[in-house]
Amino acid sequence: MDQNNSLPPYAQGLASPQGAMTPGIPIFSPMMPYGTGLTPQPVQSTNSLSILEEQQRQQQQQQQQAVQQSTSQQATQGTSGQTPQLFHSQTLTTAPLPGTTPLYPSPMTPMTPITPATPASESSGIVPQLQNIVSTVNLGCKLDLKTIALRARNAEYNPKRFAAVIMRIREPRTTALIFSSGKMVCTGAKSEEQSRLAARKYARVVQKLGFPAKFLDFKIQNMVGSCDVKFPIRLEGLVLTHQQFSSYEPELFPGLIYRMIKPRIVLLIFVSGKVVLTGAKVRAEIYEAFENIYPILKGFRKTT
Amino acid sequence: EGLCGAPGPNSGCFSEVAYSQSTGQKEQLSRCLQRGIRRVQDLCKVLQLPTVFEETAVSYFQRALQHPSFHLVSLEKKELLGGCCVFVTCRQHNWPLTMGTICSLLYAKQELFASVYLSLQKELGLSVPALSLADLVKTHLNSFRLFQHTADIPARFVEDKETMVTRTMQIVELASETWLVTGRHPVPIVMAAAFLSWQSLQPTARLACTFARFCKLAGVDLPPPAHLRLKELLEILLRMASQLTWLKVFNMDKKTVVKHIGDLLQHRIFLLKNAFCLEDKEEQHATASGEGSLGEGSPGSPPVAGGSAQEESCPLEGKRQREGSPRPLLPPCLINPRKRLRTAALSASDSAITGDEPISDSEIEQYLRGPEEIRAFRKAKAWL
Repeated sequence: MDQNNSLPPYAQGLASPQGAMTPGIPIFSPMMPYGTGLTPQPVQSTNSLSILEEQQRQQQQQQQQAVQQSTSQQATQGTSGQTPQLFHSQTLTTAPLPGTTPLYPSPMTPMTPITPATPASESSGIVPQLQNIVSTVNLGCKLDLKTIALRARNAEYNPKRFAAVIMRIREPRTTALIFSSGKMVCTGAKSEEQSRLAARKYARVVQKLGFPAKFLDFKIQNMVGSCDVKFPIRLEGLVLTHQQFSSYEPELFPGLIYRMIKPRIVLLIFVSGKVVLTGAKVRAEIYEAFENIYPILKGFRKTT
Repeated sequence: EGLCGAPGPNSGCFSEVAYSQSTGQKEQLSRCLQRGIRRVQDLCKVLQLPTVFEETAVSYFQRALQHPSFHLVSLEKKELLGGCCVFVTCRQHNWPLTMGTICSLLYAKQELFASVYLSLQKELGLSVPALSLADLVKTHLNSFRLFQHTADIPARFVEDKETMVTRTMQIVELASETWLVTGRHPVPIVMAAAFLSWQSLQPTARLACTFARFCKLAGVDLPPPAHLRLKELLEILLRMASQLTWLKVFNMDKKTVVKHIGDLLQHRIFLLKNAFCLEDKEEQHATASGEGSLGEGSPGSPPVAGGSAQEESCPLEGKRQREGSPRPLLPPCLINPRKRLRTAALSASDSAITGDEPISDSEIEQYLRGPEEIRAFRKAKAWL
C-alpha cells in the first residue's frame, strides 16, 4: 500500500490523539474482576457515575491490576522516550512468533469462560418463541436440477447465481435448497415437527417428479428463537463486565453479540430489550440460554 | 584507499536500519506475508502509531495468516486483515480509532471489513475493549479547524478548544444517560454534541449557522444520522428546560434552548429526574400500590418491566402529551417503535403437528406443472 499522506477527513486528528508520544498510555488487561468466575457480577453503578466515567474507572482499575501483575519480561524501548507497553492477552498462551519482540507475559491464571449458574427459583417467566428452524436431509439419489425447475411450479433455478434449486411450499411456509447431490436444506419452519413435515413434502415433490427420493438422515441443524425482556439494556455496561463473552461494535451493528459457552448459543441483545438466540440444535438449549442471560440482563436494567 | 577508512564522528554515513532489514529474516517469509506486513507497517506509520503498536499488529497479522480460516482467503481480504489487526491493536491500547477511518484508508467496503474483523476476533479469540467515547470526542475535535482564526473562519466562529471539548463531553454524557448512544454509531452523536456545544458557547453569533455549514467550517464530514441525533438531543434539552424554574415562563424552542445549555448541563441530574420518569420511581409506585406483579423473585409471574410500568403511570400519547408532563426515559426505539408485521405465535393446530402426518397427493400435485404447462414454459424460455 502506498503511503497515504493526505488523510481523509475521518482520519484527520485521529492519527495522533492527545499524548501520542507521551508515555502512560493506559494498559489494558482482560483479566476482569470476575470474582469466582462462575457468576459474573453486574455493574453496580450509582446515580452520580455515568457510563463514560464508569468505563474510565474500570480502565484505571485494570491498569492498576496489570501493573501489580506484570512479570519481568518487559521489553525496554527507551530510545524514543516511549515507555514499554504491556499488553496481556489471555489468548497468548504460546510463545510469540519469531521475529516479533516478546512483549506479552502469559496470563497468570487461565480464564475458563463458564456460563453463569442461575438458581432454579429465579425463573424469568418469559419463554422464547422459535422463529426459524434449519434442517437437512439426504434424498439419497442424484438429481437433475434442470428437470426439477422445468416441471415444478414452485421452483427457481439460476445456476449462474447459485448451484441449487430453490423450492417453496405454502404449508408449512418454508423454503428448501435442493442440490444435485440429493442433499436438501429446509428453512423457515417454526418448530422441529413443522420442519420435518415440510422436508417430507419437498421429498414427495421430488419423488413425483420421477426421482427415487428417500428420506435419510433428517437432522435439525440450527434453531433461532427470540423474546423480549421488556426493559432497556445498557449494552456498554454489559460489554464491560462480560467482555470475554461479548462483542459490541455499534459502528457495525446495533446489538451486542454474546457467545455463551454452555449451552453453546449466540445471543443478539439489543438496547430495546429484545433478544435473539441462535445456534441451538434442540429447543432446550434456547430456553436454558435465555434463563442464563436473564439475571445478567436484569442487572443492567437500573443503570442510569 | 580512504574510501573504506573509518568515518569521522560527524560524517553522517550511519543511519538506523531495522533488524528485519539487515538480516535474512524476511527471506524466510512468503511474499504474501511480507507484503501484508509491509502494509501493516505503512498503516501504522500513516496513523503515527507508537512502535509497539506496529509490532503487536504485525504479530496478530502473522498469527492470523497462519490460521486455517485466513490462510486461503482472497488477497482483498488479506489486505483488510492487516487493517483489522491495526484496528484491534489500537482499541486494545485505548487508541480511539474508528472503523470508518481504517476503511477509508484501505478504500474498503465497511461490510467486508466488518466480516473480516468479526472473524479475526472470533478465530484468534481476541478481547477488544469498547471504544471510549471520551477519547473519541477529544481526538475527533482535534481535527476541527475552528480553533484558529483563518481567512475561511470569521473571528466570531473561532472557539477555544478546551472549552469546546469539555462542553461536548458533557453533552455526549447527557446523550449516553438518555439512551441516545447505546446501539448507535458514535461519530454522529459526537458531531451533534460538538455542534450544540459550539453554538451554546456564543449563541448570539452562531445560532444562525446551520449544522452543514458548521461541518464545512470545521473541515469534517457530516454523517447522515447526525441530523437525527441533533433532533433527539434538542428534544431532551427542551424537556429538561421545561423543568427549570426560570425558563418555564419562556416558550422554548430548539433555537432558544441552545442559549441555556450551560445551565441545563449544570443542573443535569436534577432536571433529568424531573423531566423523565425514571424506572426506580416507577417500581416503587407499583410496589406501593400493591399490584404485586413486579415480584422479581417470584417464579412464574410475568415480570412487569420498566417499559410497561412506565406506560401505565406516564401515558404515552405521542403528540397529544403535554410537554410539561414527564416522559419515560427510554431508548428512542421504544418511544417511537417502528410498526413491524409481527409473526403470530404458533396456533394450537400448528402445535399439534407431529411431523409424521400423511401427505395427500393432491397437495403435492398443486406444485407440479402439467404437460401443457411444461410445453408453454419451454417455449417461453426459448423466446428468452
